[in-house]
Amino acid sequence: MNRSTVIKLVAIAAAVAILVVLPYVISSYYVSLISIVFISAILASSINMLAGDANLVSLGHAGIAASAGYGLAWASKQGYDLGGQLAVAGIMTVVTSAIYGLISMRTKGIFFLMVTLAAGMVCYGIAFRWSSVTGGDNGLTGISRPPGLASYWQFYFFVLAIFVIVTIALVITSRSPFGLAMRGIRDSETRMRSLGYNVPNYKFVAVFLSGIVAGIAGVLTVWQFEFISPSAGGFDRSAMVMVMVIIGGIGTLFGPLLGATLVVSIEQVLSTYFDRWPMVLGALFIAVVIFAPHGLDGGIRQLTRWFRRRRSPKDPAITGTSHDARSTATQSTTTQQ
Amino acid sequence: MDPVFVLQQVLNGLSFGALLFLVASGFTLTFGLMQIANLAHGAFYVLGAYVAVVTVSATHNFWIGALAGTAVAAGTGLLTERALLRRVRGREMPEVLVTVGVLIVIADLILALFGGHPRSVSSGNGAPSGAITIGDFVYPQYRLAIIVLTIVIAVALFVLQKHSKVGAIIRAGVDNREMASALGINIDRVFTAVFLFGAALAGFAGAIGSGLLSLTPGSGTDILLFALVVVIIGGLGSIRGAAVGAVLIGLIDAFAKAWLPDFSYFTIFAPMALVLVLRPNGLFGRAA
Repeated sequence: MNRSTVIKLVAIAAAVAILVVLPYVISSYYVSLISIVFISAILASSINMLAGDANLVSLGHAGIAASAGYGLAWASKQGYDLGGQLAVAGIMTVVTSAIYGLISMRTKGIFFLMVTLAAGMVCYGIAFRWSSVTGGDNGLTGISRPPGLASYWQFYFFVLAIFVIVTIALVITSRSPFGLAMRGIRDSETRMRSLGYNVPNYKFVAVFLSGIVAGIAGVLTVWQFEFISPSAGGFDRSAMVMVMVIIGGIGTLFGPLLGATLVVSIEQVLSTYFDRWPMVLGALFIAVVIFAPHGLDGGIRQLTRWFRRRRSPKDPAITGTSHDARSTATQSTTTQQ
Repeated sequence: MDPVFVLQQVLNGLSFGALLFLVASGFTLTFGLMQIANLAHGAFYVLGAYVAVVTVSATHNFWIGALAGTAVAAGTGLLTERALLRRVRGREMPEVLVTVGVLIVIADLILALFGGHPRSVSSGNGAPSGAITIGDFVYPQYRLAIIVLTIVIAVALFVLQKHSKVGAIIRAGVDNREMASALGINIDRVFTAVFLFGAALAGFAGAIGSGLLSLTPGSGTDILLFALVVVIIGGLGSIRGAAVGAVLIGLIDAFAKAWLPDFSYFTIFAPMALVLVLRPNGLFGRAA
């Protein structure tokens, strides 16, 4: 094991230790806030997977999350038991993800973005108008968490565990032959088609898988707030999640978490002091897109690289090569945008 | 079926379609030339609408209000293009993302300046008001005026695009950006002009739409969805496609609202999905 691996493992172990201890140290309000951050990060991860590996930026995944959430909430209102509720949520997720996949699998770039945007707004519209089932603008209230997750710290640990599982699953998917094929399609659809890959099928599966992750986030959101309303699937929500991904850094492992932390902090904490927080967030987002296309994660990497260069000027060759390889990798991601 | 009811729904559909055409044609023009999917287009619409509402209640003249709304939207478009979009020119995704950022900022600005209550432009004040009555058939003049006005604008757009020098320059820019600038056309200026024009159309649509649809800070995303569906059906970059798509969606929406109010969003979505599966480039779009 070389030094950087050791540092990484120590850092991850420390982070896990801190996260496990946190609920015993800080107040319930902040523990719930961190749960919201992790749930948002799961939703952001679902978009990040598509954006990073396939260069398919979705502006409609909140719609999938909302349809899963509504499935759960509706089933709960109908008096289904936990298994039944999850089954309904699962069916809703699968059907919605499949529809998203079908209508977007032949598109790329801006077209993908617009088609997912339209699909998300339709989800919002149905939630808003079909009031006999969805409760209309008022949404569905009073959905209780399953026993065992009822108190805030139980739910926190549950969300944390799901986040870790989803992140590991996404890393495995990204490193699998499937992930490799997606990156191939991202870099050149024509080449992959002539190599015999069925490009639309791959895109369908990618959208479908990311939809499942979005559905998980949707169920967790309903349990978090014990409530769902049409805005959960609206454009504003989808845009906010995309803002998280871009600010965090497209295609990076910790980007969604970093972005979610920042956006949720602004949304929940800054909003108590300052009404015009969306303006701040919007301006920050524009600045990131124009000046820091690698996002926070990329920015932090640049900073650490700069520190290391300063600290070890004697062997620039060794650190230089490994980091250059990484930076070209991230660069190729962004030039593809 | 009652023929009066059908005729009223057809006219409802056409007047809403006319509004959609004004919004969608600006969107599709910008896209055709610059490959920018301007998601702030809906925000320009709402901005124009609010400025018009406020100006009309101050000056009691509808047309001054419409002009003010158009001008403010155009100015915002100019600022967006010059100050922000120019920095990411030619990079598809950052361009769209910048417009999303602009959308978030403008939406919040509108909430701060005008509040969240629904508003509408006061009727009359020089705009057509009252209703036309022919036997059983009663229909508001304002809606008829929108249809006529939009037909005039649409014809002017077609003629301008096909038979004028400006139109020729824009078509040259759409076909081959490099070749156009090699022939001495200042393509940057053309981009700015077209973006400004698109924003102005959205602002104007907002101004006249404020007398037709209810106006809230969220109206921008609503109208953006309809415009997106229209251009996806018609084909991105095609004005003819925008016209056909707008009439189609306007009519579908009018009848869906009358017959299936619970699913009125879904009914415009179904034709879009159908077009995407059968003709991914839209009815009048060119292959990418």
